[in-house]
Amino acid sequence: MDLNATPRLAAGCRLHPTEAVMLIPEGTLKLQGPARDILAHLDGKHSVAAIVDELLKQYEGVDRDDIQQDVLSLLDRMEQRGVVRV
Amino acid sequence: MPVNSQSPPVAKPFSLIAEITHRCPLHCLYCSNPLELQRGEEELSTGDWKRVFEQAAQLGILHLHLTGGEPLARKDLAELISTARAAGLYVNMITSGVGLSEERLAALVDAGLEHLQLSFQDLDETTANHIAGTRAHALKLALIPILKKFPLAFTVNLVVHRMNLDRLEAFIALAEDLAPDRLEIAHVQYYGWALKNRSLLMPTQEQVDRSLPIIEAAKERLKGKIHLEAVFPDYFGSFPKACVGGWGRQMMLIDPVGQAMPCHAAAVIPDLHFDNVRDHDLSWIWQSSPAFNRFRGDSWMSDTCLACPRKERDFGGCRCQAFLLTGDAEAIDPVCQYSPDHELLKLLRVPSENPLPMWRG
Repeated sequence: MDLNATPRLAAGCRLHPTEAVMLIPEGTLKLQGPARDILAHLDGKHSVAAIVDELLKQYEGVDRDDIQQDVLSLLDRMEQRGVVRV
Repeated sequence: MPVNSQSPPVAKPFSLIAEITHRCPLHCLYCSNPLELQRGEEELSTGDWKRVFEQAAQLGILHLHLTGGEPLARKDLAELISTARAAGLYVNMITSGVGLSEERLAALVDAGLEHLQLSFQDLDETTANHIAGTRAHALKLALIPILKKFPLAFTVNLVVHRMNLDRLEAFIALAEDLAPDRLEIAHVQYYGWALKNRSLLMPTQEQVDRSLPIIEAAKERLKGKIHLEAVFPDYFGSFPKACVGGWGRQMMLIDPVGQAMPCHAAAVIPDLHFDNVRDHDLSWIWQSSPAFNRFRGDSWMSDTCLACPRKERDFGGCRCQAFLLTGDAEAIDPVCQYSPDHELLKLLRVPSENPLPMWRG
C-alpha cells in the first residue's frame, strides 16, 4: 500500500463500538496498541498520508516516520487478511 | 453440578447460534441437525427471539449466527436482524439461498445483515442436487451476482465427503470463480442425520491424504484474495478437536423451541436437561444451568486427560462424539490416540460397500 491509497474496511468488517476488537466474518481480531485508532480513520476517502496527519495530532510528540511505518505495516497485514481494501 | 463459590468465574461467551427454525427446503444427506426436528408451530415467537438477542448482547456475546433449518423460512427475519444489530451483535446468516429474492435480501441488509454463508454440495448440478435432496444448485449459483450488489461479506462453504472429495481441485476452482470473501472447506461431521449416512460419506484415507496438499496450495494461491479455512476430518486425526471451543466456554446454541445448549448435538447425551429461554434469561443459563456446567473445567475428565497438557488446548474433545461412539459421555474422545477406543475409528474409516443414501422425510 502506498501513501496515496484510500483504504476502507471490507464489507462485513467493522470495529467493535467500544472494545479494541475488529469484528469480521466468523471471528474477531484483537487489536493491539494504536491499531484501533488507525483503523477508525479508514473511510475510503482519506489517503494514508492524510490518516498519518490525523494520527500525529492524536499522538503528540511522536515521530512521523514511526507512525507512518506503523500505519503502513498494519494496513498491509489487514489487506492480506481481507479486512482492508484499497 | 452447581457452580459454587470456589469455582473460577465463567468467561463470557463469544457467539450465539440461533436455530430460528428447523424448517428447510433442503434434505442434505449430511444434515447434522437432530433426527427429530422441532415443529414449526412450537417455534419461539418474534418477541422471544428479540428478547434473547438483547440478553445475548448484554451478556457480552459478539457474534450472532442465524441458522436452522433455513432462516428465510421465518417471515419475521428482517425484524429479528434489526433487533440483533441494534443491540450491537454482528449478524451472520447461514442459508441455502433458496427463496432469497433481490428484494428480500435488500430488506435483510437494510436491517443490518453483515455476512452470509452459502454452502455448495458439489460442483456438478446433478450430484449437488442429489446430495441436497432437492434442486437447489442452480438457485445458489444464480444468487451470487445478486449478493455482490450489496455491502455484504459472503462465505462459500464446500461440504466435502467421499462422494465429492476426488473433485476437490475443480470444486475449489468453482468457488474461486464465485469470488467470495471467505472460503470454507468443511468435512462432514457425523452428528444428527449425517450419522445415518456415515458409511456412504466417510472418505477413504487416500482421499484425505490427497486433499491436504490441494488445500494447502489453494491457501497459498488465494492469499490476500480469499481467506480460506479448512476443517480437518475428525475421524482421521490423532488428537481431538477443541469442540465448540470447549464445553460452555465460548458458545451457546438455542434451538427453534428455545432450549439453550452448549453445542449442536448435545441432545444425544442422556440425562442432560436443557433450560429454556422462555423460563430463564441467558445470563443465568450461561452461568448456572446444569447443562452448561456439566463438562466445564476438568473435574469430569479421565485420569489420562487430567494428566495431559493437551487438555488446555482441546478441553477434552467432543462429548457428543465420545457418547455416540462409546456410549459414555465422559469417555476420552475416541479421536484421541490415547483413547482405548481409538481402534474403533480405524474400523470406521474403512468405507463399507455400496451403502444406500438416506434422505429425511
